[in-house]
Amino acid sequence: MSKGVLATEKRGIRELGAEKKVGWDEVPQGVILNSFDDVLKENVAHIKPEDRNYSDFNSYTATVASWRVLKPVYNRDICIDCQNCWVWCPDTSIISRDKQMLGIDYDHCKGCGVCVEVCPTNPKSLLMFVEAEDNEAALAKWPEKKKKEK
Amino acid sequence: MAITNIKNLKEFSTTNERFEGAHLLCPGCAHSMIVRELMNATDDNLVIATNTGCLEVSTAVYPYTSWDTSWIHIGFENAASAVAGAEAMYKARKRKGTLKDPDAPVKFVAFGGDGSTYDIGFQWLSGAVERGHDFTYICLDNENYANTGGQRSSATPIGASTSTAKAGRVSYGKKEKKKDMVAIMAAHGAPYVAQLAPNKWKIMAKGFQKALETEGPCFINTVSACTTEWKFDPKDTIHLTDLATDTLMFPIYEIINGTELNILYRPKNVIPVEEYLAAQGRYKHLFKPENKHIIEKIQKDIDERWEYLQRREEAKV
Amino acid sequence: MAEKFELNEVEVWDGNYAASQALRQAQVDVVAAYPITPSTPIVENYGTYVANGYVDGEFVMVESEHAAMSACVGAAAAGGRVATATSSQGFALMVEVLYQASGMRLPIVLTVVNRALASPLNVRGDHSDMYLGRDSGWIQLDAFNAQEAYDLTLCAFKIGEDMDVRLPVMVHQDGFTTSHKAQNVKTLTDEAAYNFVGKYQPYEEMLDFSKPVTYGAQTEEDWHFEHKAKQHKALIDSRSVIDKVLNEFKELTGREYKRVESYYMDDAEVAIVALGSTVETAKYAAKKIREEEGIKAGVVSPRCFRPFPFDDIREALENTKAVIVLDRSAPMGAMGALFNEISAALYTTQNRPVISNYIYGLGGRDFSVKEAIRMFKEAKANADAGYVTTPIQQFSGVRGPKLGFFETKRGK
Repeated sequence: MSKGVLATEKRGIRELGAEKKVGWDEVPQGVILNSFDDVLKENVAHIKPEDRNYSDFNSYTATVASWRVLKPVYNRDICIDCQNCWVWCPDTSIISRDKQMLGIDYDHCKGCGVCVEVCPTNPKSLLMFVEAEDNEAALAKWPEKKKKEK
Repeated sequence: MAITNIKNLKEFSTTNERFEGAHLLCPGCAHSMIVRELMNATDDNLVIATNTGCLEVSTAVYPYTSWDTSWIHIGFENAASAVAGAEAMYKARKRKGTLKDPDAPVKFVAFGGDGSTYDIGFQWLSGAVERGHDFTYICLDNENYANTGGQRSSATPIGASTSTAKAGRVSYGKKEKKKDMVAIMAAHGAPYVAQLAPNKWKIMAKGFQKALETEGPCFINTVSACTTEWKFDPKDTIHLTDLATDTLMFPIYEIINGTELNILYRPKNVIPVEEYLAAQGRYKHLFKPENKHIIEKIQKDIDERWEYLQRREEAKV
Repeated sequence: MAEKFELNEVEVWDGNYAASQALRQAQVDVVAAYPITPSTPIVENYGTYVANGYVDGEFVMVESEHAAMSACVGAAAAGGRVATATSSQGFALMVEVLYQASGMRLPIVLTVVNRALASPLNVRGDHSDMYLGRDSGWIQLDAFNAQEAYDLTLCAFKIGEDMDVRLPVMVHQDGFTTSHKAQNVKTLTDEAAYNFVGKYQPYEEMLDFSKPVTYGAQTEEDWHFEHKAKQHKALIDSRSVIDKVLNEFKELTGREYKRVESYYMDDAEVAIVALGSTVETAKYAAKKIREEEGIKAGVVSPRCFRPFPFDDIREALENTKAVIVLDRSAPMGAMGALFNEISAALYTTQNRPVISNYIYGLGGRDFSVKEAIRMFKEAKANADAGYVTTPIQQFSGVRGPKLGFFETKRGK
């Protein structure tokens, strides 16, 4: 299980399909799903994800980490906080707060590689490595600035 | 309506996400890029309806929902009607004073793929727009019935190979042209219609904001590059979308009140469509010598349409 | 604020007008509807009330019946009172959404003016549309006349919206025979009617943003069964709430309705089972044959046929000797649906009366007292013989050579 980067105790805590298989008497009437436990005290758009009381019915509590073959590794030293990766991540897995990149949500990242492609820095601030690679080791192998091909 | 600051991407990035991860969309799917842009463009409460399709089927499989707003799926064709009914209920309850929070701003949005929008749900969308409900309909156009394995829809462009209009020894794929939904919706009298693309995030976010802000039924067609059915590597979704917009295969424009057409993006260098076609497996067969004339036809259609859009913009009709 | 409508204590209304008045008095928040014969006047009348300020809810004239029910589902999920009306082809068109509405446990009231299903095209009354929706998961009540169309529509809201039920409810009435026949209808004042129905109580509503809710999720083989089983149980259990509401209605008006109606059944030897206006014809015939020929005839109707009153039907019929079940829908290769359901219940009794089936009245073909009397006599012959003396399934009122299918193997 991957943690860090603003992970809460509810984020990515179970694999899809691993939820408890309850009986007809315990499933919600009308197959209705509530996104949060309890009543929200203000507009959810004003509450940071790490401060929300996600219900177990929210996919936030599931993880798709097992989908990955490759994973993106984030290099804070090179990143210019342009937010390209944030806007184009299909899995809400690029975590940015106060206009600053914080890193990857590895519970929800599927390893699609879009973030690497849209990163404008040279060398890139995100690169794909095999899933088993240690992030620190990956950072140590970071390539040098690429010369522009004529 | 409370819109998000989209002065630049850094400002935009300070929004709090309302679309959660661990959904079942393919890695690299543009659908969720578009959904996130919509949901981050405003912080108004949203009531969202979605037709059966990739988005619906990937974000609401019991026991999980990826939606942090109220959301409803009924069937394949009727998201527009669902949202029309919800909007009518909102009006009724506001008038009767039975809303829990009557001052809370709310926007009604419907999502549908091209299959549900152009084909099976066409009547439902047409009816809702004709009746003038205050909602925004966003079509996630990946030019095929992706959820069921890539069958042709009336949004599939000419020459594309799909599982039911396949390229083979005696066929070059789809023979019919793509239906022009934006024109059809503008002809309904919708106050705001547009075609937008997620790679041009700012134009898309602005367009979404404009649609949400405009009273009445608004329609937005969005290009959603599909890694699985267009057959390209998941990491290249934005690159494909760049090709789509820069070849003018997907021109980005808006029509206001059916009479004012504005082109919202003019590529610095217009790329020949061949480069776009070459980047996707579904057009691979067009590069056989006997099919080359289809590529020429596609280019000719693009040029003619671009000419039309420019002339109409100039003439202000 | 909606204007009040001054009504006489007794009005002369047809079934359509009665239903539309009930919808008005219930103060529905959203009616999304489409016109189709013979239910069109319900929608037109409602439109007239809207135009003259008697309704302050929304009235959405959609572009098809499928869209009508779809908009009703969206509106119901948004937390308010919802209703619509349709018939026949329109009903068939919205069947997909009927299942979706009940699966989502949304209270919606649908007044169905029963009409035959094409092909061939027919606008008159029979029960083929009613039968099409049998498994759709809705509570279904049947009105035999205009008074009942009014009364049961008001009850329908109260039943469906009950927190222990939360299911959509249909109120059926015969096309033309009831919907277009003006009869005396005793009314309630706007105030009394609305107070009976009560204020709508929202539950898991999309417009409560402090509790975002997802409707219409997908379930695969690992979850589907549990959800459908739960829904089925809710339908079966709704019987107690239906009884409770019908009882409250009796307290208010003196008019008593039961989920199974029995007429002259105390000592009945033979019985006709039917739905719709035919019940009144059969009642009249039963009375006549008792007076004139001393045959102990009675009539039973499963007025609330969903949830099917399995045990109440048994109780009503188990002491008879012969039963004839009338089906007003073309069964297409099988016994009539009502015959099948009644037979299943009677099969589990000690006594097991003999039971046979008549298909009648299709496409609005009239059904007469004379024919009902003839059927009672036939039932008496069956009762005396101890077995069904005719083919088990017969057709009543159709021209041409006599149609009969399957002979009994029992008792001959």
